[in-house]
Amino acid sequence: MNRLARDAGLLLLTGALAVSATLAWRQWTGTAIASAEKQLQSRQRLAVLPEGSYDNQPLDTPLSRPAAQRPNSRILAAYRATRAGEPTAIILITQAQGYAGPIVLSIAIATDGRLIGSQVVEQQESPGLGARLADPHVDWLGQFANRQLGDRWALKRDQGDFDQLAGATVTSRAVITALQEALSYFDEQRSILLEGTAHE
Amino acid sequence: MNSFYWLTASLVPVLGATRTLREGAAIGVCAIVISSLHQLLLAPLRQRLATWAYVLASLLLLAALASCLQLALRAWLLPQAIALGHYPALLCLQCLAFDHLLPGQGRWRLLARHLGAVLAICLLLGALRQGLADLTGLHLASLAPGALLLLGLLLALYNRLRPGLAHSRRQGKR
Repeated sequence: MNRLARDAGLLLLTGALAVSATLAWRQWTGTAIASAEKQLQSRQRLAVLPEGSYDNQPLDTPLSRPAAQRPNSRILAAYRATRAGEPTAIILITQAQGYAGPIVLSIAIATDGRLIGSQVVEQQESPGLGARLADPHVDWLGQFANRQLGDRWALKRDQGDFDQLAGATVTSRAVITALQEALSYFDEQRSILLEGTAHE
Repeated sequence: MNSFYWLTASLVPVLGATRTLREGAAIGVCAIVISSLHQLLLAPLRQRLATWAYVLASLLLLAALASCLQLALRAWLLPQAIALGHYPALLCLQCLAFDHLLPGQGRWRLLARHLGAVLAICLLLGALRQGLADLTGLHLASLAPGALLLLGLLLALYNRLRPGLAHSRRQGKR
């Protein structure tokens, strides 16, 4: 009985120490984690813009998103990049339904409606097929640079302009549709996005 | 005790989290840190606790260590932490298996040897998989099944080249 009580006491002490050490560690790493996440987010979302094309902190001032719902995608956020006070690009974060789950893209659009570039922020596509969307070696998203709304936004097999990602037709179609819808959203809301005041 | 038990115990993280050399190095170092801290913290409890309490204490310590490891990875190596996914947490299974497999005598020497071997395998697999995927475009190499095949090939090669033990002429003589 004595032995049992001693074991239980020691176990309780171990548990208490383990929990308090974990909580203290979480407290201590909290700020580092927050800043690392913020840095990663800004890297993921702003990497589409060429270096030196903006001098503000676009992520600090999200724009309002009127009528953000598109037929096949959803605009999650919009940011304005400016240089010397003049807008140089709009960054739209859009979410489309991929093959295995949502695909979140960061899309940069120049003020003349040209697509500057796009990048994957989040995806859960099949490894080796749709997931190559985010592979810098494949650079499938590179073919959309400098395209405009007037181009034929579809895969070549659908009589469009673009190559598909091999073995990932659903993913390819979803991304192309999302890019086209982002461009048409920019076209519709151009004045608000470029001139409207940033809101908190 | 067969050293392949050891490899099996750490098989899941070794296969899952060695897509690139960096990932392999990260998971290998994580394995070393969490296993040695686990053994270090358990050492004073081993003699003092009955078996049931010892197992519970071991689990509690592992939960705390795995949480702290995840938090540390997120704080200082966030891109790596995202690439590694849940594999650092799965290292707990390896720690439990190690604790069970380690003999009473000479624990630390054996632990160090096996952790060194795990790190070496992680680095080797990471380097080979990254090299195969990047240079030859062999896409299978970056997927988990490819890692299993590659590990099998490496083991076969090791068995062929290993000096001394287990030559085919000795088979069946035990």
